Amino acid sequence: MSLELLRFAAGLYAVAAAGYLLYFARPRHTLAARFGSWFLSGAVVVHLAAIGLACKEFGGLEWFTMRGGFVLTAVLLAGTYLLVQRFYHLPSVGAFVTPLTLIILLPTLFGEGGAPGEAPAALKHPAITLHIMTASLGVALFGLAFGVAVMYLLQEREVKGKRFGALFSRLPPLNSLDKLTDRLVRLGFLSFTVASILGAVIARSVWKSAWSWDPQQVSTLLIWVLYGGMVQLRHLGWHGRRYALLTLSGFALLMVSIVTLRSVPGLTMHAGEYKGPRTEVVK
Amino acid sequence: MSERQLFLVGLSHKSAPLEVRERMALDGEDLKEALRQLRASQGVDEAFVVSTCNRVEVFVQAEAEEAARSFFTSRAEQAGDHLYVKAGAEAVRHLFRVAASLDSMVVGEQQILGQVKEAYGLASGVQAAGSFMSRLCNRAFATAKRVRTETGIGRGATSMSQVAVDLVEKIFGDLKGRSILLVGAGKMGALSAKALKVLGADRVLVTNRSPERGQQLADQVEGRFRPWGELEQLLVEADVVIVSTGAPTFVLTADMVRAAMRKRRHRNLCLIDLAVPRNVDPACAELEDVFGYDVDDMQKVVSASHEARRGEALSAEAIVEAEVIAFTRERETRAALPVLVTLRQRAEQIARAEAERTLARAGGTLDDRARASIEAMAQAIVNKLLHQPTMRLKASAATGESALAGAAAELFGLDQAATPPRRGTPLNGATAPAAPTPTEEDA
Repeated sequence: MSLELLRFAAGLYAVAAAGYLLYFARPRHTLAARFGSWFLSGAVVVHLAAIGLACKEFGGLEWFTMRGGFVLTAVLLAGTYLLVQRFYHLPSVGAFVTPLTLIILLPTLFGEGGAPGEAPAALKHPAITLHIMTASLGVALFGLAFGVAVMYLLQEREVKGKRFGALFSRLPPLNSLDKLTDRLVRLGFLSFTVASILGAVIARSVWKSAWSWDPQQVSTLLIWVLYGGMVQLRHLGWHGRRYALLTLSGFALLMVSIVTLRSVPGLTMHAGEYKGPRTEVVK
Repeated sequence: MSERQLFLVGLSHKSAPLEVRERMALDGEDLKEALRQLRASQGVDEAFVVSTCNRVEVFVQAEAEEAARSFFTSRAEQAGDHLYVKAGAEAVRHLFRVAASLDSMVVGEQQILGQVKEAYGLASGVQAAGSFMSRLCNRAFATAKRVRTETGIGRGATSMSQVAVDLVEKIFGDLKGRSILLVGAGKMGALSAKALKVLGADRVLVTNRSPERGQQLADQVEGRFRPWGELEQLLVEADVVIVSTGAPTFVLTADMVRAAMRKRRHRNLCLIDLAVPRNVDPACAELEDVFGYDVDDMQKVVSASHEARRGEALSAEAIVEAEVIAFTRERETRAALPVLVTLRQRAEQIARAEAERTLARAGGTLDDRARASIEAMAQAIVNKLLHQPTMRLKASAATGESALAGAAAELFGLDQAATPPRRGTPLNGATAPAAPTPTEEDA
């Protein structure tokens, strides 16, 4: 049931993406952008409903798998963009973010929604929900920053290369993109920091040690240092192209680590190992 | 009462030099007085005047264009050589093209529509423009709006300073809290600096080799003068640098800009070189986070938008053409209607009278159903007989042919009062058969 709802949400995301892309291709149709944001709001609502339903069906354990993580990240990405849209009127960003949401969500739509078998001790810790939520929010914010940084680099190429074509007129000014990237990175870093601290607390109480050289911990630390470094560099006055490139590499590293750690069995004590034999699919 | 039609007499940047145009242009009270005079002239029903620095055009709904012509010639004899005269649909088309900015010096510029609106407002304010001009002008405004929304005629920058504004906007968004630096006292530089103020720059800094000229320029653009020796420091402070000196060499070298960028910590810097020969080393534009443009780059944008506008003008012309046709057709259908109405009224009158006579003769021998069917038959005969003529008349009116309506009136012996596709209504000027061939006298 929750999976059907998720597929429906994906359909709404697709319509929203089409709206935003149409607006991007033909900026005269401002209605298309408005349609896009309506459908996106609808999609987020349905998506959240699907998550709530899945929590009821599977007891909230699903979120510790890669699939669950993607489902969460996608909804947070879309939700964050809707929030951002309230403060900055940049509908052209939607043309980048909405398709990205759909891509993240896509792999979770196939196969059967099932719960992992035995719930391990770590998942019974009271702080685990907040840990997962803040971590996913961090990933979503970094993802949004990634989308905006791509727009920055595209626009920079247009402006600097004196190509005053379609992209030039449709993409927002460089400065707005630069500022937005910075804010998203800061917020993402904040969220990621909270998630890491909670993770250490949980690890200490469940595994008896806050740090155990688990690959997940190592990669998280690396990513945390990278983004933290970016926030510092910004204070030192780093702007523009270099900052955008750093944003890209940060998110790339994040994605690689998520996918590797979740797909190679036995690599980490996180996630992957907990995937026990599937129980029967609850309809 | 003789025939009325729309006449246009005018001169514009295409037909008359500036010294003639400026002598003819009128505004405010003078224009109102001129409109009252025009309206009071013999044979003029309505009038309105568009008067801008690029054109002075008099539109009259009148018997002849004489009154409009004397608007010019009474004030300066030589204006007569530069006048063009258009009548009927030609005049309608001209007004629509003007309002849609197709006849402007810079095609697609936005001001002209406002100016035409203002001109109409003025004319209707002094009762010089009446119902015909109202319909005409509203149609012209609607046409202009269609052209603006359906074509890209207003898109793209058409002047160097507009290009500069567009570029800076794409880099910085707005210029709040940022500074513009003007290097050198060139005229183009000052113009661009002024244009950039729309983006809300907080500070304008000016530097120049000669302090006197520099100070002068600083006053002119409401900026602050800084000595030439501080140039390297100024590059760190400013975000947009406009360079237009008379120097034959590079005033900004790549080394200077590289050093400045380090101190700026790579905050974006926009260098606009308006000088010929160039004052900014082209290598500067290669540096990271530096955006450099020279006259050639900007000129290319200007030509590209002119080119694009020319392309868009073609579709705009098609819209104008469609609107002109729709407008004149509307008027003619309106003009043909009286004949149709009278014809039908007359026929129905006869049918009713004949039906009554028949029924009266039959007396009480008929029941209600039979009476009703006799009345229905009479009505049906009228409808069937008039069906073809009605269709033909409507069709001919719509294509601009009004001779048929006249012939119908003649043939059916309808009164003069009801006849008037050709006479009487002030609406039908443009395509009445007797309309003189439109003339254009471009000097």
